[in-house]
Amino acid sequence: MNPAIRRVGVALIVLLLLLVGQLTYLQLVDANSLNHNPHNTRALLQNANRPRGDIVTADGVVVAHSVKVSDGTVFKYLRQYPTKELFSQVVGYQSFLFGSTGVERTYNRDLTGQSLQLQLNNVGGLLSGNQITGTAVLSMRADLQRAAQQALGFQRGSVVLLDVKSGQILAMYSTPSYDPNPLAVHSNTLAQAAFTALNQNPDRPSLPRAYRERYPPGSSFKTITASAALETGVATPQTNFPTLTQLTLPQTTSTLKNFGGESCGGSLVDSFTFSCNTTFGRLGLQLGDQFVPAMAKFGIGSAPPLDVSPGAVPSLGPPAGSFQQNQPLFALAGIGQGDDAVTPLQMALVADGIANGGVIMQPRVVQEIRDSNDKLVQRFSPTPWMTATTPQVAAAVTQMMVSVVQRGTGTGAQIPGVTVAGKTGTAQTVQGANPHAWFVAFAPAEAPRFAVAVLVEHGGNAGNDATGGRVAAPIAAQMLKLALGIR
Amino acid sequence: MSATLPRRRASELGLGILAVIVAAFGYLLVQLAQKPDVPPDLWVILASVLALFIGAHVAVRRLAPDSDPVLLPLAALLNGLGFVTVARIDPGLGRIQAVWTAVSVAAFVLTLLFVRRIRTLERYRYTFLFVGMVALLLPLAPGLGKTINGARLWVGIGPVNFQPGEAAKVMLVLFFAAYLVDKRELLARGTRRIGGLRIPELRHLGPLLLAWGISILVMVRETDLGQAMLLFALCGLMLYVATDRIAYVLAAVVLFVGASVVAYSAFGHVQTRVQTWIDPFRYANNKGYQLVQGLFGFAAGGFAGTGLGLGNPKQIPNAATDFVFAAVGEELGLLGAVAVLIALLLIVGAGLRIATRAERPFPKLFATGLTAIIALQSFVIIGGVTRTIPLTGVTLPFISYGGSSLVANWVILALLLRMSDDNARGAPNRRSTVAARAP
Repeated sequence: MNPAIRRVGVALIVLLLLLVGQLTYLQLVDANSLNHNPHNTRALLQNANRPRGDIVTADGVVVAHSVKVSDGTVFKYLRQYPTKELFSQVVGYQSFLFGSTGVERTYNRDLTGQSLQLQLNNVGGLLSGNQITGTAVLSMRADLQRAAQQALGFQRGSVVLLDVKSGQILAMYSTPSYDPNPLAVHSNTLAQAAFTALNQNPDRPSLPRAYRERYPPGSSFKTITASAALETGVATPQTNFPTLTQLTLPQTTSTLKNFGGESCGGSLVDSFTFSCNTTFGRLGLQLGDQFVPAMAKFGIGSAPPLDVSPGAVPSLGPPAGSFQQNQPLFALAGIGQGDDAVTPLQMALVADGIANGGVIMQPRVVQEIRDSNDKLVQRFSPTPWMTATTPQVAAAVTQMMVSVVQRGTGTGAQIPGVTVAGKTGTAQTVQGANPHAWFVAFAPAEAPRFAVAVLVEHGGNAGNDATGGRVAAPIAAQMLKLALGIR
Repeated sequence: MSATLPRRRASELGLGILAVIVAAFGYLLVQLAQKPDVPPDLWVILASVLALFIGAHVAVRRLAPDSDPVLLPLAALLNGLGFVTVARIDPGLGRIQAVWTAVSVAAFVLTLLFVRRIRTLERYRYTFLFVGMVALLLPLAPGLGKTINGARLWVGIGPVNFQPGEAAKVMLVLFFAAYLVDKRELLARGTRRIGGLRIPELRHLGPLLLAWGISILVMVRETDLGQAMLLFALCGLMLYVATDRIAYVLAAVVLFVGASVVAYSAFGHVQTRVQTWIDPFRYANNKGYQLVQGLFGFAAGGFAGTGLGLGNPKQIPNAATDFVFAAVGEELGLLGAVAVLIALLLIVGAGLRIATRAERPFPKLFATGLTAIIALQSFVIIGGVTRTIPLTGVTLPFISYGGSSLVANWVILALLLRMSDDNARGAPNRRSTVAARAP
């Protein structure tokens, strides 16, 4: 019997070795993908039970904090958002069921004290068993955020205000918004109900329109068209354009009309000041295949590296190299219609590029990480994102934008004692719907400090009479005034 | 013989104390993970674990002094690790498991005490068959039987629930071994020919098939397919060892495949197990939840584990019983999980060594069968939990929470040690025994 017993022995050993093989696969080879499997809530539970630092605004308002609870669930802390809907689209939420979003997600390791800098700062604490947490300090200000909320009121739209030199975002709000607190509760049933209700809401309040929704930019896009024309030498500020009421588009029988059927033209400066479509349609055609690369330098086609998760979506223009096949599209692109589709954040970054001598800064919402004792751990230094154009072109476009506010379509954005540079946009959407009202601006024009983009969907309260100058420009002025400290 | 005796027992004592230290440190780590103080009951735990081991060790010294020195320490290690894991998942279950460990060690000592000659057991084969059958049927008895988690395997007397099937398994293996030793010549030879195959006469195979068939039917009735599968494999394996005819293995495989197909079409939960085995993530939120959570546990453990007390094994339903290995894999990592497998492998090696060294056919076959219970049961549950094979719920020997299984495994251990001791004692007489047997 012994040979048979030995054979049985070998078979049993093979079976157990098979298990060693499978274990190695599970725990080493496949472990990473299992750990990141969407059904895996282990990492979340571990996170949920780690003490978690606060998220505070630059002006000291707590927008997210954890409260120790013992509610009979497996969770030790309840995450709360005292400012409710005011910051939810940036700060996000931390939910056991649905994962986390926003700053809660991007800065998870800092908030839970796991980042290298925090660990190094707390070598002593590690030995004594004290768990540290990090506080994420936003560059955003609660007063500016609230002003944006009030300015928009019940109108749907977005406001993005940023610091020109650093790219730090000071306000970023869009309506409608939502209260994240019901999503963070510990009862699975209640959290699930809140989540379902939020996602079934036809107004889509969970969508951060400021950086994840694209709109036709309309004439606000002429800032990019003008920069491209100047930089490529297609035009100078003094180049004269014929006075027309409409432009016949090549390859078709259709025409491109001026706003309100008016006739306009003249110098590039005048065309820009009064937002003359025929001039900018012609520039789009003259730029041709040079146009798309020029847009790309402003970030069109790239996702702005915003430190919020999920990130910003890229803005779009016409396909590169498609000028010969579809020339009318380039005329439309010149006036911010057709294939142009941009986020409000992207338009604020365009204003930033012009204001900052051609360099667009990387947008940020968190300026620094502090430890539980309020000691500075890490400060995020300003980083350039894109070089949009030359300082000379930026200066020329600035002059044209000043002219818009002083004597053109954007007079609604004037601030006494401050030179504001701006550009209006009134973007056609679908047939029969009211146009979107846009305004992009920065101030002071001589030494720019703040850049802003305002979008009011479908004209807001003004409806069909809406223009960027009438609806969006006053909101932009109000934001700039507050940021500059003018009462 | 006398020269090796103290050395063997001294190794056993040394290895056993190491196992006790591992268990005590494991318990300490679990407690420290919850709050940074040395638990006040650490010394009580350490003393009781040590006392239990020393008790078993002294019994072996007295009752089976020449037996294998590694089996008892290996069992102590696995039992200790199992207690730590179970207590970490549910302190209440941990306390019950501690009591069952004491009962098991008592059963171990009593087995060594009462089974002085393994031959005695051989003689009572039909008694054990009968008792084993009754034990199998008990859970079906109205009033006595209890259904837990969809399987009617339990017998409840007062507050204590136990699974008589665990004991029945040992008794059936005993019957198979004794019966096969008796008939193996006849079974190996075979008298009738069907096609190219020589088939033994039905009257020789009959009682075996009957016992086997009834046991499997009963287990199927109790929806304990894991045990049925295990018994099936055990029987085929022992038939092969007894006759050395590979045809029995082939026949068993064919029958197994046939039975699997029938089981798959007849039982919804078998289909579920196969579906979740093939694509667990598709059912991650319903019927595959437990398996998927187990896999996540292994992944979370990675190479070195999260550390005892620092993982989240409570995320896995039934982590203390069927899925205890996933908890081990999570907190002790690949290192700890493979260490457990190596310990099981060493037990299997020691068990089969006892079988090959035995002089008489009955202990050979009995030791092989008992070892195979531990090996196959480990493979079935670890394979199921790691998604190597479809999941069937059986306990992991010495580690899973569960009194009946623990007692049965310690009895198996005692029987193996008894045969090991017989081997060593029989050695000087080998020549005379062989001579006496010669025709």
